[in-house]
Amino acid sequence: MTEYSEQLLKKPLREGWLNRFQVLALLAITLVAIICQFYLPRLIPNTEFLEIPLLLTIYFGLMRQNQLSALFFGAFVGLAQDSLSHLPLGMYGIAKTLVGYFAASVSMRFDVDNVLVRFTLTFFFFFFHQFFYWMMRRALLGQVVPLDPQKILLQALLNAVVAVPLFMILDRMKLSGS
Amino acid sequence: MQEPRVVEAILSRYRNLIILAIVIVAQLLLLAWQVRTTQDVRLIRVWAVTTVTPLAGVTEAVRRNTIGFLEDYFILLDVREQNRKLREDNNRLKMENIYYRNQLTTAENARALSAFQLQTASKTVAARIIGNGTASSAQVVFIDRGSTSGVVKGMAVVTPDGIVGKVIAVYPLASQVLLVTDPTFSVGVESQKAHIHGTLSCNGSNCVVDYIQNEEKIDPGEWFYTSGEDRIFPRGFPVGTAASVKSGQFMKDIHLNLSGAPGAADEVLVVLHGVHQLIPDTPPEQRVAQSLPAPPPDAAPGPATPKMATQADKIKQKYIDIGKEENHVYGAIGGNMPNFNKPAAAAQSPAQAEMPPKPAAKPASPPVVRPSPPPTGILGARTPEPTKQPAAEKKPSHVDNGPVLPLGAPRKKAPPATPPQP
Amino acid sequence: MALVESQREREEVSSEQLLQDSTKAATAKIAVFQYIVVAVFIFLLSGFWTLQVQNPDYYSEAAERNRIKSTPILAPRGKILDRDGRVIVDNKASYSLLLNRDQLKWEHLPAIADALHLDYNELAGKVRRMGSRPQIVIKDELTPDDMSWVQSHRDTATYPEMDIINSWRRLYPQDGYAAHVIGYVGEISDAELDLPQFIEYHPGDVIGKDGIEREYDSTLRGVDGERRVLVDSMGRERQVDKPKDAVAGKDLQLTLDLDLQSVAELAMEGKRGAVVALDPRNGQVLAMVSRPTFDPNKFTGRISTKDWKEIVDDPYKPLMNRATQAEFAPGSTFKPFVALAGLESGVIDDQTEFHCPGGASFYGHYFACWRKGGHGNISLHRAITQSCDVYFYNVGNRLGIDRLAHYTQLAGFGGKTGIDLPNERESTMPSTRWKLRTFRQKWYAGETISVAIGQGAVTVSPLELAAALGGLSIGGRWYRPHLLRDAKPVLTRDGHLNPQDVAEVVDGMYGVVNEGGTGHAAALPNIEVCGKTGTAQLVSTEKMKSMHLKNNAWFEAFAPKGAPEIAVVALFESGEEGANAAWIVRDVMKAYFDKKARLAKERTQLTREFHTLTLPWAMPMPAALALGSGLN
Repeated sequence: MTEYSEQLLKKPLREGWLNRFQVLALLAITLVAIICQFYLPRLIPNTEFLEIPLLLTIYFGLMRQNQLSALFFGAFVGLAQDSLSHLPLGMYGIAKTLVGYFAASVSMRFDVDNVLVRFTLTFFFFFFHQFFYWMMRRALLGQVVPLDPQKILLQALLNAVVAVPLFMILDRMKLSGS
Repeated sequence: MQEPRVVEAILSRYRNLIILAIVIVAQLLLLAWQVRTTQDVRLIRVWAVTTVTPLAGVTEAVRRNTIGFLEDYFILLDVREQNRKLREDNNRLKMENIYYRNQLTTAENARALSAFQLQTASKTVAARIIGNGTASSAQVVFIDRGSTSGVVKGMAVVTPDGIVGKVIAVYPLASQVLLVTDPTFSVGVESQKAHIHGTLSCNGSNCVVDYIQNEEKIDPGEWFYTSGEDRIFPRGFPVGTAASVKSGQFMKDIHLNLSGAPGAADEVLVVLHGVHQLIPDTPPEQRVAQSLPAPPPDAAPGPATPKMATQADKIKQKYIDIGKEENHVYGAIGGNMPNFNKPAAAAQSPAQAEMPPKPAAKPASPPVVRPSPPPTGILGARTPEPTKQPAAEKKPSHVDNGPVLPLGAPRKKAPPATPPQP
Repeated sequence: MALVESQREREEVSSEQLLQDSTKAATAKIAVFQYIVVAVFIFLLSGFWTLQVQNPDYYSEAAERNRIKSTPILAPRGKILDRDGRVIVDNKASYSLLLNRDQLKWEHLPAIADALHLDYNELAGKVRRMGSRPQIVIKDELTPDDMSWVQSHRDTATYPEMDIINSWRRLYPQDGYAAHVIGYVGEISDAELDLPQFIEYHPGDVIGKDGIEREYDSTLRGVDGERRVLVDSMGRERQVDKPKDAVAGKDLQLTLDLDLQSVAELAMEGKRGAVVALDPRNGQVLAMVSRPTFDPNKFTGRISTKDWKEIVDDPYKPLMNRATQAEFAPGSTFKPFVALAGLESGVIDDQTEFHCPGGASFYGHYFACWRKGGHGNISLHRAITQSCDVYFYNVGNRLGIDRLAHYTQLAGFGGKTGIDLPNERESTMPSTRWKLRTFRQKWYAGETISVAIGQGAVTVSPLELAAALGGLSIGGRWYRPHLLRDAKPVLTRDGHLNPQDVAEVVDGMYGVVNEGGTGHAAALPNIEVCGKTGTAQLVSTEKMKSMHLKNNAWFEAFAPKGAPEIAVVALFESGEEGANAAWIVRDVMKAYFDKKARLAKERTQLTREFHTLTLPWAMPMPAALALGSGLN
C-alpha cells in the first residue's frame, strides 16, 4: 500500500482502528442496517430510498482503508440484503463488494473525516451502486427496470444528506467502542 | 527459481485486486448457477430471513406496544385497546358479511350454514406485515407467519377490505408475499351484477381487468369480486370497483380501483386452503361454499342462448319463417305451393306491394336478429337478468364450474412448491 | 552447472531490478494498469456470461429464465361466401392456450389438465407428439375462467410454459347446413403429414379436412405471423421486435345460392338423400345438400371422442357427401338418356311404337313393366311421360350395351364430373369392356335390358345425374360442375347432337310434369318445368338389406323448357316412389324462380325510383321513360 503514500490530501493512517470493532459489533450493525432497510418504510412511509446498508458499506470502506476487509464486508452486507429480496443471490452482493473495494481504494487519497468529502463520495458511490445494480439486472438477469437518472440523482442526494449525520454517529460509536 | 518469485511478487502486489476478482467471480458463479438451474440458495435465505424477521417482528411489536402504552396510559386510557377490539370485530364481521352475502344468493341457506360452520375461523390465519422486500422495485412484503403456522406457498393473502397477494416463499417464521400490484400477478375476478368473469392485472397502482368482451355490460363503479377461478383466491372476496369502462379494440378496457391497499395494510389474513381437507366427504358443502353465482344460470334463461350464427343461418331462418307463415312444409309429399315472395305483399299496403323483395327479407328477419329489446337489456343488467351476451357466455362457464370448484388450489400449488427447493 | 547457475543469478538480478524499477514507476501508471486489467476482466466475464448463461441456443435451461420467445400470430382463414357475397363460413376471435416446449415440465401437466378440464392422457399424448416444435396449442376457445386461471398461473414460479394467443375459430352455419360442401377444418393427422401435398405442414397445423375447406385449403389458409419477444426471468416481455404480421387467408366466393340452399336444406330435413341444383349453362352448383348431416362446428376445436364415435358409428354415415359419393341405380331418371341414345343412333324415331302388355320376355327372361296392366301401343313421348319400362327394354335391346354406353358416357355416366370437391366417386356405366375389365366376364345381352331402365349395374350420384341432365337440357353440351364463383366454365363434352332428338326427349320430360305424368308435383305456375321421376331398386348388399328395403326415389328436372337455367336432382333414399322426390325439386325450383322474379322487380323498382327521383327535372319526361324502359 505504500505506493499510495505520496498522494495529495494525505492523512494519517488509522491502523489501530481496524481492531477495535469486534466481529460481533460488526454483525450487529449490519443487522440493524438490514432491518432498517426492511422495516423502516413500514414505520415511516416514503423511506424506501434510504440505502442504509450501502451507507454502512461506504463508511466502512472509507474508514478502514483496507480493501480486503471492505470488499468482504460489502459482499456480506450485499448478500444479506439479497436474501430478503426475491431476486437471485449475488446481485447486491457484487454491487456492494465493488463499492466497498473502491471506497477503500479511494479513501487513501482523501480526507475522509471531512464532511464535504464524505458527502460527495457518498453521493458518487450511491449513484455508482444504483447504476451498477441496474446494469446487472439488465445484463445478467435480462430484466428491464426503467432507469430514472433524475430520481437516482435525487435519491443519491438524499442519501448523501443522511450519510453525513449517520457517519458522525458511527464515528461516535467507534470512540465509545475504543 | 525466479519464476515463482515473480509470480509471488505479482500475487502480493495485486493481492487485493485478485481477491476482489475471486469474490466477484464467486458471486457471479452463484448468480449464474441460480439463473441457469432456476434453483434458489434456500439455506442462505432461510438464515437471513429467520435472523431478520423476528427482529423486525420484535421491533414492530415494540413500536406497537410502546406507542400503544403511551397512548393507553397517558392519552386515551382504554380507548385504544377497545378500538383494536372493535376493529378486529369489524374485520371479522366484514368477512362474515362477505360470506353471508354470497350464501344468501344461493338460496341454500341451511347447507350454506353448515358449510360455513365447517370452514370459518380455521380457514384463515391472521398475520402482520413486518417488512418490505429489499429490492426497491419489487412488490413484495414479508408477513410474520411461516411454515410453523401452516402457511404454504401459493396461499392467498387478503384483508376484509380487499385482496393483498399470494405467498411466494415460506420460511419457518415468516413468508414472502407477492402483492397483487406486481405486474406478474393476475387474479380471476367477476363483476357483481352480471357475474362476468375477467382477469385482473396491475402494474403498480394501475389495475386493469382483461378479457371481457366488448358486448358485456359493466357499469363504472361496479364492484368486482374474486371469481375463484385462479385457484388462489377463494370466490367472493371484494377486489375493487371499476374506475372507468370503455370498449376496446379487441376486448373491453376496464380500469379498476383496488379496494384494499395491498402493501399498506398492517394486518392481513392468510387463507389456509388446507382446511378443505377437513370436509372432503361432503362435496356439496364445498360446492355451496364456492359456487356463489349459481344465480346467473337461473337468471339467464330469459334470452335464449343465441348461437353464433353466420348469414347462412339467418337466411335459413327466413325461409323457416316463410314456411311457417304459409303453412308450408318443405319437401313434404303433397305440400302446398310456396310463394317465397308473398310475405312482401302481405306485409305491405297494396300501394307499396310493388316493392316486394326488400320487405320480403325484412319482416322475416327480425326473429333472426333476436329481438332482445335493448332498453330492457340495459335495465335488465340491474336485476339478475343479464343481457343476451352474458347469458351466452355464462352458460358454458357455469357448466364448467361444477367440476372446477372443489378448490383444487392446494393440489395446484403443491407441485411447483416442492421441486424448486432442494 | 556453474554456468547455468551464474546465468540464473544474473537473471534474478535483472528481474529484481525490473521489479524495483516498476516499484519506483509512477503510481498513476499502475493504477491505470489496474483499471485496465479490471476492465478486460469484466469484458471477458461478460462474454462468458452471454455464452454460458444467457445464450438460449447453448443451454435450454438458460432459456427458461431469459429467452427469446416466439409466439405465432395466427392468420384467420378466408371466409366462404355465397354467390351474392353472403357469408356462409365466418371466423370468430377467441383465445388459445399454448405450451412452450422450453419450459415444459411433465409434472405440471396433470395440474394443467385438471384446471382446464382436459383429459390428461390426451394432453400427454399430444405433448409427446409435439416433437421439435417450439410450442403446441392445447386448448382453443378459452373461457374467461380458463383465462383467469392461466393468467394467474403462468408466472415463472408456477407454470411458465403457458402462453395465450389470439386465435380464430371457424364458425360454420348451425345444424350441418351445407356441411358436406363446405367441409370442416381440423388438426392435421399423422397420416396426412406423410402425404406429399402436406410436406410444408407441421403437426398441429389446422387444415381443411373435407369439402371446400380441403379443396381450396391453400387459398383459404393464410400465413401465420410471428411475434418475437425477449422474456426476462420475471416473465415480463421486453424488446418486442416488430411482429411479422399474419396474412389472412383469401375469401372464397362460391356459386352456391343461400336462398336455394336454404330451401333445399329445409326440404331434406328428416330425410336421407341429397339435392343438387346447378346452372346447366356453365356448371355452377347453386345448391348441394346431403342428409343426414353433421355439425362441422363440433370439429373446429378438438372434437370429443364421444362426438367423433357417434358420427363415425352412425350406420347412415353422416360424413358422406351423398351428392357426390352416393352411387345408386338411377332408375327411370335414366330413361331420357336411353331415349336420346336411341334417337341419336337411329334405332328409334319419335314414331317408333312398341307394345306394352305389362311386361316382355327377352333372352328367356320375363321383364315386367311397373304398370301391371301395360301401356298398350306406346311411342316415345308417352313412353317418357308414362315411364313405360317395356318401351325402354326394347330400345335398350335394339341399341345393345355398347352403343347405349357410348351415348350415356357422353352425358357423363361412367365417370366423374370433376367437381372441385374431394373424394368424388365415379359412376358406373356398364359395357362389354367394362365387364371384361371388372369381372373378366362376357356381357350377356339380357343384362342390357335392365340397364335400359336404369337398373342393373348402372349407378350414378345425384351430382352426376344433375350434370348429365343439365347438359342434355341445353342440347347436349356438358359443362363441368364447379363451386368456385370465379372459375371459368369448362365445357367437358359437346355431343353435337341433333337438336330435333333433344327436343323430343325434352318434350317427353315436359309431359312428365305438365301432362299428367308421374312428376306433376313439380309443376310451377308460369314456368315450363321438365322432369323425370325415378324409382330405383337398391343394389342390395348384405349390409344394406338389414337396414332398409324401400326403394329410392329420384327426381330430375330442369326449367324453363326453352332456355334452361337450372337443373335440379333430388335423391330421396327410401322415398319409395319417384314422385315423392318431386316435391323437393319443386320447392327448390320455386325458390329459384321466385328469387329471379324478386330481383327483376327490385331492379325495375330501382331504375324507376332513380328516374322519378333524379331525372324528371333533368330531362324531358318521355326521354326518361324511354331510358327506363331501355334499362329494363
